[in-house]
Amino acid sequence: MSEDVENNEELERRLRSALRAVDPGEGFAPRVLARIAAEPAHATRPARAGAVASWLAFGLAACVVLAVLLAHEWQARRLEQGREARRQLIEALRVTDEKLDLAYRAVNTHGSGAPAEHSGV
Amino acid sequence: MSGDEECTRGDLLTRALAGERAAFAALVRQHQRSVYSLALRMLSDRHAAEDLAQEVFLQLYRSLSAVSSEAHLGFWLRRVTMHRAIDRLRRAPRLESRAEELAAVVSETEPADPLLQRRLRALLRELPAAARAVVLLRYQEDLDPVDIARTLRMPLNTVKSHLRRSLAQLRERFDETADALT
Repeated sequence: MSEDVENNEELERRLRSALRAVDPGEGFAPRVLARIAAEPAHATRPARAGAVASWLAFGLAACVVLAVLLAHEWQARRLEQGREARRQLIEALRVTDEKLDLAYRAVNTHGSGAPAEHSGV
Repeated sequence: MSGDEECTRGDLLTRALAGERAAFAALVRQHQRSVYSLALRMLSDRHAAEDLAQEVFLQLYRSLSAVSSEAHLGFWLRRVTMHRAIDRLRRAPRLESRAEELAAVVSETEPADPLLQRRLRALLRELPAAARAVVLLRYQEDLDPVDIARTLRMPLNTVKSHLRRSLAQLRERFDETADALT
């Protein structure tokens, strides 16, 4: 058991030694900068890229909120229209009922030749 | 690390974010060893490693506003490097088998037993990419398993399992080599 631990420690020591970092050389940073300079400006500008992403996120959020509000408004209007249609239908039914009632009375009156009061209706 | 140095590094990040190229170049110089070494040991190819390291810094330049501190910068660079390296190996597995380069990838301060050191690095390349990434972050970058799990977005138990199995495999193969050499 303790031999295993020692072996592992030895291996870990060797690994750390074998895996020491290697430098890519002095010219690396200038090569990175040259590559950045060769890229289109809009693709590499750091602050602007972040700002564009922020504005895009803000715009998207605003669109979503606007869409929700419009949907809510549309639904409220539909409900109101439904209520109005129902009210009008009830009113129409009431008027029709009155007219039918009048017509019924008139028919009864003429049909019996006697006043409706005497027909028992 | 002294307070002044920490301040300077944080300052560099702020200046680089403001678009100052010299500050960004200083950041590159500070982290190029780590990024390049991880890429080199993952890909086993100097040109591919240089290209990948450059791409990582290019991506950093584009994403600087997402980096909040010096510590976050180190974490960000390691994560992007490893994910890009694993992605490249997945797309071009022939990089895995390039036998290389092995002799050329030598530490600047050559160790006392260079042959065994090289053999160890060769054995490391035989590990699967994910296991190799775990071992590199542990023994090159000196990260603990929790940080490795965060960097590679891997469950902690998977990291520990990779470490345990990789060490066992490396030890077994390394002992065979050492016996053959002695």
